[in-house]
Amino acid sequence: MKPSSEDKDIKKVIIIGGGPAGLTAAYELSKENIDSIVFEKDKVVGGISKTVNYKDYYFDLGGHRFFTKIQYVQDIWKEVLGNDFLHRNRLSRIYYNKKFFNYPLRPLNALAGLGLWNTTAILCSYLCVHLFPSKKEETFDQWVSNRFGKRLYQIFFKTYTEKVWGIPCSEIKAEWAAQRIKGLSLVKAIKNAVIKPKDNNKKEVITTLIDSFDYPKFGPGLMYQTMSKNIQNNGSLVQMESEVNTILWNKNHRKVESLEVDVNGQKKIYHGTDFISTMPIRELVQKFKPTVPVKVLKAANDLKYRDFLTVVLIINKRDVFPDNWIYIHEPDVKLGRIQNYKNWSPYMVPDPDKTCLGLEYFCFEEDDLWTMSDRELIELGKKELEILGFAEATSVEDATVVRVPKAYPVYDLHYKCALNVVCEFLNGIDNLQLIGRNGMHRYNNMDHSMLTAIYAARNINGANHNLWAVNEEQEYHEEIIDKPIEESVTNNVIIKTFKKMDKLGFAVAIGVVSGLSIFLATIFLIIKGGGVVGPNLRLLDQFFIGYSVSLKGAFVGMFYSFFWGFLFGWSFAYLRNLLLALFVFRVKRRLEMLTFRDFLDHF
Amino acid sequence: MNDVNKKGDKIFGGIFRLNAGILGIALGLLFGLVIFIATNWLVLMGHITSSDNSEIGPHLKLLGEFFIGYRVSFFGSFVGFAYGVILGTLGGSLIAWIYNKFVDFRN
Repeated sequence: MKPSSEDKDIKKVIIIGGGPAGLTAAYELSKENIDSIVFEKDKVVGGISKTVNYKDYYFDLGGHRFFTKIQYVQDIWKEVLGNDFLHRNRLSRIYYNKKFFNYPLRPLNALAGLGLWNTTAILCSYLCVHLFPSKKEETFDQWVSNRFGKRLYQIFFKTYTEKVWGIPCSEIKAEWAAQRIKGLSLVKAIKNAVIKPKDNNKKEVITTLIDSFDYPKFGPGLMYQTMSKNIQNNGSLVQMESEVNTILWNKNHRKVESLEVDVNGQKKIYHGTDFISTMPIRELVQKFKPTVPVKVLKAANDLKYRDFLTVVLIINKRDVFPDNWIYIHEPDVKLGRIQNYKNWSPYMVPDPDKTCLGLEYFCFEEDDLWTMSDRELIELGKKELEILGFAEATSVEDATVVRVPKAYPVYDLHYKCALNVVCEFLNGIDNLQLIGRNGMHRYNNMDHSMLTAIYAARNINGANHNLWAVNEEQEYHEEIIDKPIEESVTNNVIIKTFKKMDKLGFAVAIGVVSGLSIFLATIFLIIKGGGVVGPNLRLLDQFFIGYSVSLKGAFVGMFYSFFWGFLFGWSFAYLRNLLLALFVFRVKRRLEMLTFRDFLDHF
Repeated sequence: MNDVNKKGDKIFGGIFRLNAGILGIALGLLFGLVIFIATNWLVLMGHITSSDNSEIGPHLKLLGEFFIGYRVSFFGSFVGFAYGVILGTLGGSLIAWIYNKFVDFRN
C-alpha cells in the first residue's frame, strides 16, 4: 500500500506493531482481501514473542508455550507453521532454599524440602484459610492467601511476585491474579475424575492441564516470521524499523486520519481508513496530535509497565538441568527465572554439547539493573548462576543481553481508574481499535491477544465485537472456541448429574409409590377373595402393627409403607447428595492446587 | 469463598430432575430381571439338589397371587419378567413424575 491520499471506497488499514496481535490482524484482513500495512519499530517481527538469533543460538524472551483452548487460534497456528511444531513435555520447578520444588506441591517433596515444621505450618494455614476465609480480597496478597494459605503465600508467592513486579504484593490488584487462573474448568476436572481416559487418550487429558505444549522448532519468532511472509505474499506490507511518531486525528470527526512514521530516518505520512494499535496505551496517547485532553494524558501517564532483560549465557556443558524453565524464589539473588532453551526445542542450539541459558531479570527502565552495561549484567548472571549452583562461571563460553522494554502492563492499585479514563476517550474514536497485551493494557496471553486481533479484523469487515470482553467473559468467545459437540454434551450430562437432589421430593415420591403398592396389593387380594384372604401378605402385620388384609388394613398398610418409603427416599437422596458433594469437594481442592501451577506459569 | 467454589456453586446450582422414561425403563428392567433370574435360579437349583418331590421355590411362587399365570418354572420366569417390567416401569415413572411435580411445586 502506498502512502497516498485516502480512497473512500477501499479500506486501507494501518496497524501499529508487528507482534502476535498486529500480525494476526493483518493476516486475518489479508484473508478477506483487505490490504493493510504493519509498522514495526524493531528489526524483527514478533514483539515480545520474537526469537532472537545470536550466533545461531536461538532464544525466546520469556518462554512462549503454544497452548490454547480457542480452536480458531489453534487452527491459525497450524495453518501458518504446519509441521514445524514440536510437541514438548513440560518440566518446570521452583528453586527455593537451594532445593527444587514441584508444583502443585507434593507432600514428600514439600516435607523433604521445607522440613516438618514448615510443612505442618503450611497445612495448618491452608486449612485455617479454608475454614475462615478473609472476606476482603482487593490485593494480590489477600487473594493468594485466601486460596493457598498465608504460609504458602509467604514462601512461594511473595518473593517471586515482588521480584517480577518490583512493588509490594499489597499494591498489586487482586484482579491480576484472578485473571491468571481463568480457564481451569471444574466440569472438565470432574469429567476427568469420573471418566477414566483410555490409555491412548491419557496424554490428551493431561494436555488440558498444561503438562505438555506445542513449540515451533526455532522458537515463537518462526510463527511470526512465517505469518509476516504470508501477509506480504497476499499483497499487504510489513514495514520494519518504522516507528510511529505522531497520530494525526480529527477532533471534530473523532477519527484518526493519518500517522507520521519514521521509516529508516525519513518521516512519512500514511493515510488510512481504519487503524489498529498494539502500541502501549501510554505511548499511543502521548503521540496524539492535536494533544488529547489533559485529564486523559494524565491518566495515560499513570499506566505503568514492567520491563525485563535476559542475560543469555552459553555454557560449555551438555546438560545443566532438565527443566524447560525454573522459577527462582531464592531471595538472595536478583534473578527471577531461568530458561533452558534447548529443553524447549533441541533446534535452539547449534551444538548439542552446549547449553544456552536465559537468565531473566525483571526491572523498570529507570532501575540500576536496566542501566547496567551488558558486561556488568553478564558478570552478574555468571555470579548468580554460580551462587545457585547450576554451573561454574568459568564454564560460560559466550554471552549476550537482550532488553525488553514494557514487557508487562502493571496492575497496580491505580491502573483501573486510569485505564477507564483513557479508554473512554479512545473508544470515542470510531476508526481506532486497540488490541494485544500492551495495546489494551491487559495481561493477555498470546492466544487472547490474537483473538482480540481476529475480532478487530472482523469489526473492520462489519462485525461488532467487543474486544474488551475477550479474556474477561468466557461465554463471549465461546462461538469461536468450537468445542466438539460430544464434549459439550458430556459436559451438560455431568452438570445435570451433579445437581442436588430434592430430598423431600424424592422422599414423597418413594413414599407415595410404596404406600400405593401396598394399598393396591391388599385391595387386589380382597377382591380376589378366597377361603383365607391373603395369608401371606398379612404376615406384614409383624412389622406394620394393626395391618390386616382388609379395607381398613389397606389404609394402615399404605400409611406404614408411605412412612418407610419416605424415610428410605429421604435417606437415599441425602446420602446421594452428600457423596456427590464430597466428590466435587475433592475435585475442587485438586483444581485449586492446579491453579497454583497455572498461576505461576502465567508470569 | 474462592473462585473454584463460586464456579462450582454456579455450575451445579439448581435441582436435579429425574427422567421419568429412563427411570421407568431402568426400574422395569431391574425388577423384570430380578424375577427372571431368581425364578430360573430356583428352577436350576431345584433340579440339582432335590432328591424327592419337594416343592421348588415355595416362597417365590407366592408372587402368583398377584401375577396371574406366574409359576416357578422356566416358562413362569418369562411371565414374571413381563410383570416385573410392567410394574417396575410404572413404579419408576410414577416416582419420577411425582418427584418432578414436587420439585416444580416447591420452586
